[in-house]
Amino acid sequence: MAREIYAYKSRVDGTLHYPMKMISRGNRDHDFFEFDPVPLPKTGKLLTFTTVYNLPAQYEVATLGLGIVELENGMRMLGQIEIDDPQIGMAVKGTVKVVRRETYDDYYGMVFTAA
Amino acid sequence: MRDVYVAGIGITTFTRLEYPLVEIASYASMMALKDAGITEVDQVYVANMGAARLNHQTALASAVTDSLSLLPAGAAAIENGPASGAAAIKAGFQAVASGMDDVVLVAGVERMREVNNLEATDFVATLTHPLAEYIYGVTLPALAAMFARLYMDKYGVTERHLAMVGVKNQNAALNNEWAHLQQAITLEGILDSPEAMTNNPYVADPLRFFDACPVSDGGAAIILVSKEKAQELGRPMIRLSGIGQATDTHAVFEREEPTDLLAVRKAAHDAYQMSGLSPEEIDVAELHDAFTILEIAQSEEVGFFPKGEGHIALEKGETALGGKIPINVGGGLKGRGHPVGATGVAQAWEIVTQLRGDGGKRQVEGARTGLTLNFGGFGNNVVCLTFVRED
Repeated sequence: MAREIYAYKSRVDGTLHYPMKMISRGNRDHDFFEFDPVPLPKTGKLLTFTTVYNLPAQYEVATLGLGIVELENGMRMLGQIEIDDPQIGMAVKGTVKVVRRETYDDYYGMVFTAA
Repeated sequence: MRDVYVAGIGITTFTRLEYPLVEIASYASMMALKDAGITEVDQVYVANMGAARLNHQTALASAVTDSLSLLPAGAAAIENGPASGAAAIKAGFQAVASGMDDVVLVAGVERMREVNNLEATDFVATLTHPLAEYIYGVTLPALAAMFARLYMDKYGVTERHLAMVGVKNQNAALNNEWAHLQQAITLEGILDSPEAMTNNPYVADPLRFFDACPVSDGGAAIILVSKEKAQELGRPMIRLSGIGQATDTHAVFEREEPTDLLAVRKAAHDAYQMSGLSPEEIDVAELHDAFTILEIAQSEEVGFFPKGEGHIALEKGETALGGKIPINVGGGLKGRGHPVGATGVAQAWEIVTQLRGDGGKRQVEGARTGLTLNFGGFGNNVVCLTFVRED
């Protein structure tokens, strides 16, 4: 089964949140855990991007592409990008992959390529 | 609410310092105490972001208070990311303004060069959202780079504008003996010459090496007092006249308009409102130029220039010494350095120096009002302060 990155939909007011909140932006009168997970769409357009040359510890690569993507439902997310010539506004598609490896843990996130 | 005045200031050289963290904070504090002419305080606040992680030091305020033999003064450390310094000043203001304390020492300190560059980069990145940003390998330069690209696309800012900020501020630091960077740079050397890419490589495109502040160690301190105490001490009457603080989304991508810095706008608005000043009435400003694009964007958000026109004002020299609103005349974070917990206090140190007329070659002639903007996270926690000379 394909891995997903989840947004969280408030059962009180229907607002979608990514990343998760404990209280909805749409209605602060919220009880504990009144959200349902909703998979984020995997297609969208590239809003902005960079190639990072000075990486933090744990990344044994020379450069890392990062971008902010506006998804097809209007939500936005940060992801890694694997695109040779990225352009603002270009269509992208995402796959959930390992984006960070630490000694005992792998972290999964969205990696975008050209659509 | 009582009026609050700055009676003393102190600072260490910002550079790589081979002294323990507590000694750095204590040195700056001693200078401030001597400047004010006092030996007793009611409360000590120490601003710091990374002591536990970088220096294996916790309970920093207790250690500094003991080192300075200020016992039994109250003491507390304040960690608020890169806005720790101004947040601590706000706490000091509240203590004096409420009448709870008459004399408060606020010190800011950081010793980041104790770890290597990879660890320092990772440490600063821990202020990002852990699951929506940090896990992807995001760094503060990366966030600033993506912001800069949007600004370029929307407002016509170019790499040349960014380099102009870098040249202005790094060269301004030559007039500040406490500043980290003491080497002149030129547009030719970092942008135009065939060697520019070697001299000034990308760290996160479109941002290059000279678009970023250095990683620094250092400390700064100020003494906040009541009006009665300030009059008794006889130092220049510099009033901390306005404070605004605001937050924004933790994850940068959640912001409705990604080129807006709403927390900067709100913090500045509230500081102006409290002080009764308008942007046009500010004589000198310290903005948080951790990256060159931020000085341009912040100069708009605090109301000095219309949105999207900060780079045009820069081109005209309006933000340089002698310009309409001189910004970062002591080098800013870019030239003075950015020991994160110390920066907000160092900004106040510079403004008080200016309002006292002690700026030497970097003095803004006749400065009577000043503003500092301390920018935490990537704009998710911002503190703006205004100062007025009254005598």
